[in-house]
Amino acid sequence: MALPISLINELKSTVGDQWVIIEEKAVERYLYDETAYGVRPQPVRDIVVVKPGSTEEVSEVLKLANKYKAKVYIRGGGTGLVGGAIPTKPGIVLSLERMDKVHVDSENMVAEAEAGATLGKLIEEAEKHNLMFPAHPGDEGAFIGGLIACNAGGSRAVKTGVMRNYVLGLEVVLPTGEVLKLGAKTIKNNFGYNLAHLFVGSEGVLGVVTKAYLRLYPKWSYTATIVVPFDSRVKAFKTAKKLLFSGLIPLALEYFDRRVIEASAKHLGLQWPIMEGDYFLMVILAEALEDVLFLELEYVDKAAREEGSLEPFATQRTDEQKTLLKIRSEIFTALKKDTFDILDTTVPLGSVDKFIEAVMDIERKHGVWLPVYGHVGDGNIHIHVLNYQGYTREQLIGVSEEIYEAALKLGGVITGEHGIGYIRRKYVRRLLGDVWVETMRKLKGILDPNKVLNPDKVIPEE
Amino acid sequence: MNILVLIKPTPDITKVRFDVEKGVVDRGSASLEINPFDLYAIEVAKRIKRVFGGFITSLSMAPPHAEPALRDAIARGVDRAILLSDRRFAGADTWATSYTLASAIRKLGSFNIILCGEKSVDGDTAHVGPEVAEFLGIPHVSFVTRIIDVSVDKVIVESDFGEAYYEVELKLPALIALSRPVIFRDEFIEPSMPKVSDVLRAKKAKIDVWSADQLADVADVSKFGLNGSPTRVVRAYYALEKGRETRVVKGEEGVNMILSVLRETGVIS
Repeated sequence: MALPISLINELKSTVGDQWVIIEEKAVERYLYDETAYGVRPQPVRDIVVVKPGSTEEVSEVLKLANKYKAKVYIRGGGTGLVGGAIPTKPGIVLSLERMDKVHVDSENMVAEAEAGATLGKLIEEAEKHNLMFPAHPGDEGAFIGGLIACNAGGSRAVKTGVMRNYVLGLEVVLPTGEVLKLGAKTIKNNFGYNLAHLFVGSEGVLGVVTKAYLRLYPKWSYTATIVVPFDSRVKAFKTAKKLLFSGLIPLALEYFDRRVIEASAKHLGLQWPIMEGDYFLMVILAEALEDVLFLELEYVDKAAREEGSLEPFATQRTDEQKTLLKIRSEIFTALKKDTFDILDTTVPLGSVDKFIEAVMDIERKHGVWLPVYGHVGDGNIHIHVLNYQGYTREQLIGVSEEIYEAALKLGGVITGEHGIGYIRRKYVRRLLGDVWVETMRKLKGILDPNKVLNPDKVIPEE
Repeated sequence: MNILVLIKPTPDITKVRFDVEKGVVDRGSASLEINPFDLYAIEVAKRIKRVFGGFITSLSMAPPHAEPALRDAIARGVDRAILLSDRRFAGADTWATSYTLASAIRKLGSFNIILCGEKSVDGDTAHVGPEVAEFLGIPHVSFVTRIIDVSVDKVIVESDFGEAYYEVELKLPALIALSRPVIFRDEFIEPSMPKVSDVLRAKKAKIDVWSADQLADVADVSKFGLNGSPTRVVRAYYALEKGRETRVVKGEEGVNMILSVLRETGVIS
């Protein structure tokens, strides 16, 4: 154990003996996240897992880390895809799992959520009060702290925006242990520069999010999921564009093809229910008024047919909508075992079709399958680079980089929601520039002078 | 072929509240959807219609806010939806419900086959299908997993009786209560998603709403609803759920604790 025994003892007296874990087997499940096997870093096993039960304890743990100059890796639900939670140096894994309370202030439509509460719990608690958390930024096992720290996105961003849009207030423990309370339960708040948003999307390098005020909304009373099949990809994208430019804002506008969606359905032991077409748009509508929903249904049907779609299907049943969404959401899991890396390249709205054509060119050039699907409603496209036979690691990275280049050429970015974490740090200097790197370093230097928090993540090595 | 489908509009069982004091499901607490088992009845009805031609009528007894569920039935292939809705039907047990549905079927006149789900996800009794058939005096079979064959005067089905599968031949008219999933001849049937065009058409379709008075010529109205129900819910309660308990113990203490728990629970002596 690289950490001094005196630190372990002090950690134990801070959070209690049972919340400091050093046994190898117990530590194992804190070493990985959901990063694809091909690109995830090798974790360092020489770590101690610490599970604080309060903000005060988080603060004490960070003070101890500074005292001993020990590295700290913050861990939420472990659902990240860029190695952000994987410990790469000996140190402390700070797991927030015990801090999982959610209190819903229904009068003010605000949730007070601790960092260790899952997205699933937030959704469930809001529902008890007939409210909802409108965004759906990914896996429901993700922790609120992680969702905020990574500014998670998800399929509903086209209508709801991303995690950042819901953060009214934050409690952050700075890397040196001081507790910073930011914001309020108000929707508007112009009292001082909004420092809370400095931490949203900081991927845990600037502080530890421990609590948040999140904005809730009244539930949508009427929802429908439409599946529009097409016999050509071009028609699918033309329809998507037409919908987006019509002013109709769906809850989600997703694209996938038959091969991808059937792989996911098969993985789940289900059947993709639409027999017609090889390319699909999935349009989710959510409205407060039934008549509005029906007007939108009518419009989507008409617009799709005008662009040459096949017969569109729709359901308003909760169970069927859930099944469709589940099949769409599990594409990643279904392909994971064959996946080298999953990309979340994002391009400007008007360039989605051009981008996918460029990806198809790369596919043809290499003679491989590049599963493509994603949130056409916000330009965020997921592409799996698989473990192709005969390809070396470098060649596979080469394929990913060709896709990055295609996105960049169209004015896009290499990550729309997964973030930089560990695996994309190598692209930071080239893509974000020296001034960005230096500014981040200065910020980091001010907040984390001993460089204890999340080393090897986001900011390139000096 | 004149096909009848019995459809129960049920609440989303994961969202509905249960009124423990009154012992009833608070149906106002969630919107109503077609009982999932009944979706299979609609699918089988469509298959039969495809083979023989004909007309599919659905029959439901529910509060007025069940209308969207019936529109969904029309979008999914039902030609005409009838809703029996009247305060006098309220509080009916399965006997009174079946009596009311059977009365409405009598009023409708002739039919060749009645299809329904084997049970509803909220009541879970599996009574109503067979009871309707008994009131009408026609043969019936429940827990049907396969329609082996159907002709104009008979239907051969496979039914899961628990200890064995039975092949049953019924003379038509008859009532078939379907399990899920179900096989129609050799085809595995899953409820199909409606076309958007059908959803839009169904939105404008007319739902026939029948009151108790409209059944007065074929039924004894005093047998409707709570008054006509021979059974009462005396008490309702949630099943006790005991969560897992976690105790953190170390070394020798842990071994002893496990041994004493195993002894206490009679696993070892």
